[in-house]
Amino acid sequence: MKVSKNELMASLKKAFEGLGFRPGDYQDAADMVVWLETHGFDGFERLRAALTYLNATKPIHAELVQEDAHNAVLDGRGTSILLCGSEAVDLVRSQVMLGSCAALELFDCYNRTFILQRLVKAAQRNYAFIAYWRQLDYCVKVSIEAGATLPEYQTFTITEVLEPQSLRIFCGNNLESIEKQYALQLQFGTLLETYTGEEMMVCYQDSLEGGIEIDEALWRTLDDLVARVLVQSTDRSRAGAGGS
Amino acid sequence: MHKDPHSTNASLDSSLDSSVETTVRLLPLRPASQVMQLERLGSFHQSRLSFMRTLVRRMVAENWQITSPIFDLDDEGYGTVVYQVEAKFGTFSYVLFSHYLDPENRNDRVIANQWDLTMALCEGTVDAEQLEFLRTNVPKQEAGRMDSRVLVLSRANRSVRTFEYVVNELTLGRQPNVDVIAEVGYLYRTTAAYGSGKLGMADWEKVRTKHRDFARPFAAEMFTCYMLRHFSMQQADFLAAQRGPTTAVKLHPELKRYLGIGNSTGLGMAPFLINHPLLINQWIEMRETALATAVVASEVGVDKETMARLDMATERVIQHLGEIITADERQKNSNVVVREELQALHLWLQQQAADLAITHYVWADLIQYAEQHWHVETQEVINTMLIELYPDLVDGLEEQMGAEESQQVTPEMSVSELLEIIEDKYDWALAIDFSKHESMGAFWYRSEEKMEPRLGQTNIDMGMEKEMPLGIGRLVRECYDCLRDYNSTSPSQNVAHFILKNPTFSGIVARMQTMAQSRYGDIRENLVHSDVLPIYLLRCKLSFFGVSKFDPRSRLWVRNTMFQGAPLISDFGCAIADDWQFPIKPVLPTQ
Repeated sequence: MKVSKNELMASLKKAFEGLGFRPGDYQDAADMVVWLETHGFDGFERLRAALTYLNATKPIHAELVQEDAHNAVLDGRGTSILLCGSEAVDLVRSQVMLGSCAALELFDCYNRTFILQRLVKAAQRNYAFIAYWRQLDYCVKVSIEAGATLPEYQTFTITEVLEPQSLRIFCGNNLESIEKQYALQLQFGTLLETYTGEEMMVCYQDSLEGGIEIDEALWRTLDDLVARVLVQSTDRSRAGAGGS
Repeated sequence: MHKDPHSTNASLDSSLDSSVETTVRLLPLRPASQVMQLERLGSFHQSRLSFMRTLVRRMVAENWQITSPIFDLDDEGYGTVVYQVEAKFGTFSYVLFSHYLDPENRNDRVIANQWDLTMALCEGTVDAEQLEFLRTNVPKQEAGRMDSRVLVLSRANRSVRTFEYVVNELTLGRQPNVDVIAEVGYLYRTTAAYGSGKLGMADWEKVRTKHRDFARPFAAEMFTCYMLRHFSMQQADFLAAQRGPTTAVKLHPELKRYLGIGNSTGLGMAPFLINHPLLINQWIEMRETALATAVVASEVGVDKETMARLDMATERVIQHLGEIITADERQKNSNVVVREELQALHLWLQQQAADLAITHYVWADLIQYAEQHWHVETQEVINTMLIELYPDLVDGLEEQMGAEESQQVTPEMSVSELLEIIEDKYDWALAIDFSKHESMGAFWYRSEEKMEPRLGQTNIDMGMEKEMPLGIGRLVRECYDCLRDYNSTSPSQNVAHFILKNPTFSGIVARMQTMAQSRYGDIRENLVHSDVLPIYLLRCKLSFFGVSKFDPRSRLWVRNTMFQGAPLISDFGCAIADDWQFPIKPVLPTQ
């Protein structure tokens, strides 16, 4: 079946609320899923994987374990980026000072691809980002220039030992300054694949024009989660709605 | 200097002049502390910037062509109609299904599942295959599915008494009595017009970027209601002709213009205003800019013609309010008071026209006098009338009624700065005493019945644990208290650190930081107070839609009319005055 972006967003927000997410968190999480799905990153498949975890636990946020002026380490405590992605991006962004960049490592977290949407949104406030993480047997690198609306997504062969569930984010006023300041950390292997902003935009325009294809079983799953935030209807409650 | 504009109250004091002149600079926008009070927002009337007004201006000026390639109704008026719409930039199809409805099943609530009419506005032309798809799904409304070719889905119920009366009169060769029509004002009332991607329809972003004809907020939804009005009159003419082929007459064009579309609006509209604060801020700011523009236009006085137009408008509103039938005591009393006060304005304009014409910032004087002496609804009627006087200056604002709803945390802001922002911009929220039971005596929730928003009583009704976060004032208070505690134990920290420690506040922090950058910001009311009047929220939004004749049925829902007095499709392309606000009974030659 096909759904619209607005309809999907409304459903996801309530579904995440049904999972115990708070206002702010459920908005951010819905934004992340919709952005990935409409830009060609299999948002629904990643959501399905996340739901297995989210359904089994109460929402957990990351904890700050180490920090200096321009570096921070967050412990994800096994949670999903859907819950801690905003905090991570906000924290690294808050450490950027004029002329210098900041770096953050988030370890023990899952569903890291969802971080793309948070980086894109933060880039609108004139911050540039580079993030990378290990995905199976390759490394994912995401770059977005300050003020840009779409990132570049690349995969490389692995050259350094990366914690399987960690994520590194670098933030600055532009990509050049990040690459200059963190040249040693930003060494990658052989380029495997590049997914450009132009390709993402084509995908987005298609979904806007024709709707978003979603598996009916997943839609029903979302409906079941939405039902958790609905209140049983009674004659008395009907009176609390007005109407003739 | 000025003479008494009110026969019983104090005069417009000449001392006001100097104070007004010192405060008027460029565009003197009213402060948020005044405008964003819920009672004032709930006293707004439609203006030139309202979405029905701007849509009608566009259709008339651009001479949209509307034909009906399919008009397949049986003798009872049931069947299928497809209108083809040639707008300036694109072609659209308005598909309507007319059904028999058992009177026992006629229900205007959102929980209804059958209606007299169901409609869809689609992009492009509709072929046989799509028509069958629509025939299967549109009558089901929320229980069906649309696709991205559909822009709006809507439904309507007949005002049986008025409809049958009108058809019978026409069948017998007579025009219906204006007074009978005035009691209701419409033949059909719409109970919902869904757009913005609901049920699989086109997203607002697609409509906005692809279809310039409907690229303003709610333009497509308003058009759907306008076409319903057109059909209602066409169906009445059609049925009269069927019943009395040799005797029937068509409804007089003046009566057609006087007929609108009925509307019932309940709580479903209320959460929208709270959940779209940037959009509401934009609407308010444009309206206030229009008002300020009118004030500045009176800098060196007002010409006689403008004065006369205001006087005519005043008389028209007095008549309009006198023709409203409502059982709601508060609205009834308000209408009486507003009429009396407008009568005083009328006398003032009649007697003092010469002096006023040379008075600097005369509209600032008038606004200030009204604020000091008259009912809030009178004040807002006057504001609407002043905006009306300067179409050339204010109509351009209609292109700025949109806003992207995006709230974002500013993590680098210090906690102490955020505290200062809250104390400055959310002083109204901090002034609420939430230790009182009544301050948290209500809660909003979604019912399992079509997710209808409802209002419950705290500790009495079920569902408190599933409360919707619409009590912005309370959330601000909770966050503020937590920020203060945090700032005392962890001074010099920024918002990012606060949220890491207190992630449950990320939503309200993003809202406060975002809205603090807007001029009008949030609606200043405790929406979880026991005595909250949601009807003010509904009326605020409806005023921006452009409805008239507010008839509150309780504190939770309101009846009103849409497009009453508006030009007809046959008027498109003609040089007609855009002055159909505050509709009044027409006088027919034969009557």
